[in-house]
Amino acid sequence: MNEIRGEAVASFDQVLRRREAQVLRTAFRILGNWADAEDVAQEVFLRLHRRGLVFANDAAAGGWLYRVTVNLCLDRTRSARPSQELPDLASLDRSAEAAVLMEEQKRRLMSALALPAKERAAVVLREIEGLSTAEVAEALGSSEVTVRSQISKALVRLRGIFNREDV
Amino acid sequence: MNEQEMRELFREMRDEPVPADSLTRVRASVDRRIHERLWMFVWKSAAALVVAGCIVGGFLLLRPGKASQPVRKVSAPEIAQVLPPVEIPALPATPVRPTLRPKRARPRPVEAVPVSIRIETPDPDVVILLVN
Repeated sequence: MNEIRGEAVASFDQVLRRREAQVLRTAFRILGNWADAEDVAQEVFLRLHRRGLVFANDAAAGGWLYRVTVNLCLDRTRSARPSQELPDLASLDRSAEAAVLMEEQKRRLMSALALPAKERAAVVLREIEGLSTAEVAEALGSSEVTVRSQISKALVRLRGIFNREDV
Repeated sequence: MNEQEMRELFREMRDEPVPADSLTRVRASVDRRIHERLWMFVWKSAAALVVAGCIVGGFLLLRPGKASQPVRKVSAPEIAQVLPPVEIPALPATPVRPTLRPKRARPRPVEAVPVSIRIETPDPDVVILLVN
C-alpha cells in the first residue's frame, strides 16, 4: 500500500524528504513568513501520513500536496492577516553585481505580491512553481478561466507597482 | 520591468533553496507528531481493551454461579407393586331352582394372598423387594 504507483516503493520518509522543500516553499510564498509556512508544511505531511501514500502516479501525489498546501494557507490567511512584507529567501552566495541586482528585484517582486490570498496562490503556483493552468485550477478549486483572470490581473497590478517605483 | 522580465524572475525563484533549519524543524516536528499519534492510538486501544475486559469480567462475576451448571434431577425411586395372579376358584355348577331362594353363599374366608413390593432405586443393581 505504501507506494506511489509508477515509482519504486516509497516510504513516507522518502516522500517527505523529496517533497518537503516544495511544500515549504509554496507555503512561504503564499503566507509570507517561515514560521507559518513550517506549521502548514507539518500539517500537510501529517495529513499525507493519515491518508496513506496511495496515488495513481507521481503527478497525482504532487497535485494532492499542492492542493492541501494551498487550502491550509488560505485557511490560515482567513484567520490571520498575512504579512505584507515578505522576507527574502535564503540568499545565495552570489558576489556578482548582477546577482545582487536580481536578488533585489526578486525581493521587490515578492513584496509587491501583497494580493488577495487566492490571487497570490494562483501566481505562486502558475508562475513560480510552474504548474499548468489546469493544475492550478484544480489546486485552488476554481475554473481555468478564473485562474487565468486572477493571474492576468495580478501581473497587471505588479507591472503597475514596478513602473511606479521605477519612475 | 515588463511582464516577460517578471516571469523570468518568477522562474528564477522556482528552485531557490529553502532554509535548512526550517526543513529540519518540519521533519522533526512531523516525526514527533506521528509518534505521538501512534502512542495515542496504542493507549486508546489498550484502554478500550481494559474497559471491555472489565465489562465482561464484571458480567461473569455478577452472574449467579450455580445457574450455569445444569440442574441434576434426582428421580424418585419407582415403586412398583407386583401382585401374583390371583386364582379365582370356579364355582360349583348347581342347578338353579327358580322356586327356591338361592342360598346365600356364606362368605368364605379370603385366603391370604402373598404380596410383594418391588422398589427400584437409581442404581439398577439395587432393587428393594418387600414381601409380607
